[in-house]
Amino acid sequence: MDIEFGARTDVGRVRENNEDSFALAADLNLFVLSDGMGGLASGEQASRMTTETVVARCRETADPTVALIGEKLPGVSNVSNRLASAIRWANREVYQAARQSATRQGMGATVVALWFTDEGRMSVAHVGDSRAYRLRGGELTQLTEDHSFVAEQVRRGMMTKREAGESTMGNVLLRALGIEPEVQVEVNEELLMEGDTLLLCSDGLFRELTDAQIVSVLEEAEDPQEAADTLVELANQAGGGDNVTTLVMKYAPKAVGALGRIGRWFKGSEHGS
Amino acid sequence: MSKLVLKFENSVLKEVAVGAREVSIGRSPENGIVIDNPAVSNYHARVFSEEGRMMLEDFGSLNGTFVNGQRVKMVTLKPGDSVGIGKHTIVVTESQEVRGTAPGGSTGNAWPTVPKINETVMLDTKERREFMQKVAAVGESSQVSPGRMKVATLVVRRGRTDRGEYNLNDKLTVIGKSSLATVKLKGWFAPKVAAQINRREDNSYYIGSADKVPNVNGKPIDRPTILTSGDLIEVAGIELEFLYRD
Repeated sequence: MDIEFGARTDVGRVRENNEDSFALAADLNLFVLSDGMGGLASGEQASRMTTETVVARCRETADPTVALIGEKLPGVSNVSNRLASAIRWANREVYQAARQSATRQGMGATVVALWFTDEGRMSVAHVGDSRAYRLRGGELTQLTEDHSFVAEQVRRGMMTKREAGESTMGNVLLRALGIEPEVQVEVNEELLMEGDTLLLCSDGLFRELTDAQIVSVLEEAEDPQEAADTLVELANQAGGGDNVTTLVMKYAPKAVGALGRIGRWFKGSEHGS
Repeated sequence: MSKLVLKFENSVLKEVAVGAREVSIGRSPENGIVIDNPAVSNYHARVFSEEGRMMLEDFGSLNGTFVNGQRVKMVTLKPGDSVGIGKHTIVVTESQEVRGTAPGGSTGNAWPTVPKINETVMLDTKERREFMQKVAAVGESSQVSPGRMKVATLVVRRGRTDRGEYNLNDKLTVIGKSSLATVKLKGWFAPKVAAQINRREDNSYYIGSADKVPNVNGKPIDRPTILTSGDLIEVAGIELEFLYRD
């Protein structure tokens, strides 16, 4: 699959340690980002445990005899169910680790993951307030809705987006990995179209930058790595109040055969229909 | 005598003297220091004296109590210590230092500088359940909620498709000629993926653009748009009606 990607994580300008982690499994076309919480070393451990577990479990379940855990989600592909199962595993791992020592009390993590499949589709799974965005035709769409106290109120019409942005409770989550023995994983499926750019990021990015800034970086960068780097640098310039992590992926199928070109010509001739 | 000064960012919210009596800290109004923030447990921590020392104990709170940035269970406090609970700070100070700084005063630099704590925190389990029940009630009274027993359906009103009606059971429904498509378009010039409909976690449905920008009730959409019963969708030469059926 022709996915170009770049990634960057940074401690920011205020924090002393980086509690974000990411993992890429380019052979699987799987991308995972996690933001740890709990302070001291436990936030770092939680996010690393999360990204590593998700990748490992997604890999294992390529073997159909390996059982998935949790309730099978209706109306989604097997890949989506494998991803949800892998995230539930990560929840258990963090939950158990948090109970092993008093210093790890409150240990937890968010997660957001994208898994592309060959046929032009992707699974988007998340828990917490790390986000996935898609840029298509100049339009930035947030593909995940935060599992946070303020986002839930916006969704229910109890608060405006503006009020949410100004709320002092923007950091309060309703769901995270490692807090309870079981977690509800949100999984969505999306089309993947030629030219789509996808962004995974921790809250350290979108708390510092506007959508318009994100769009201009994604559009103007030479390649995904430059986009990932530039977004992190801009977040730091804007204050760098938190750890910031970006994963940028671009779907750019190469080598189009003669038939494909004719197809495109037909498509091009259809403008205005 | 020492005092505990509750601060949020640079403003002083409250001062409490610490004497022989214990000072409890939490969200519940019965506490000596009340912090009304969902990140704070009802009974979060306490400050008490023991053998002449001022002690701080965290009651196993979900999001923790931090002294000078370190998460603590039980510690001895001394003047100048900064106790972080959620986004609030409690500064331990000798009472004479407090004079001249009225509550709400802006002499922020009179206080020890504390690290900017903006940790992501978790609403505790009980609070979360109560909150979700409260917001669920709001959601159900609005028009957005489709109701649990209803099935979302697309009825073809005009155009060439492989069927006359489609139940939207999948998370992703594609309209187009592609092998991914549920609503299969016919004809040479039909786009591979004209538009998509997503079912979200709360079982609401959103239509979004792909190769084409669909019209909903005669207007082109500029972002993923929620569908309500009776909406008319026009895309790639076909017209579909979105309906919830019992």
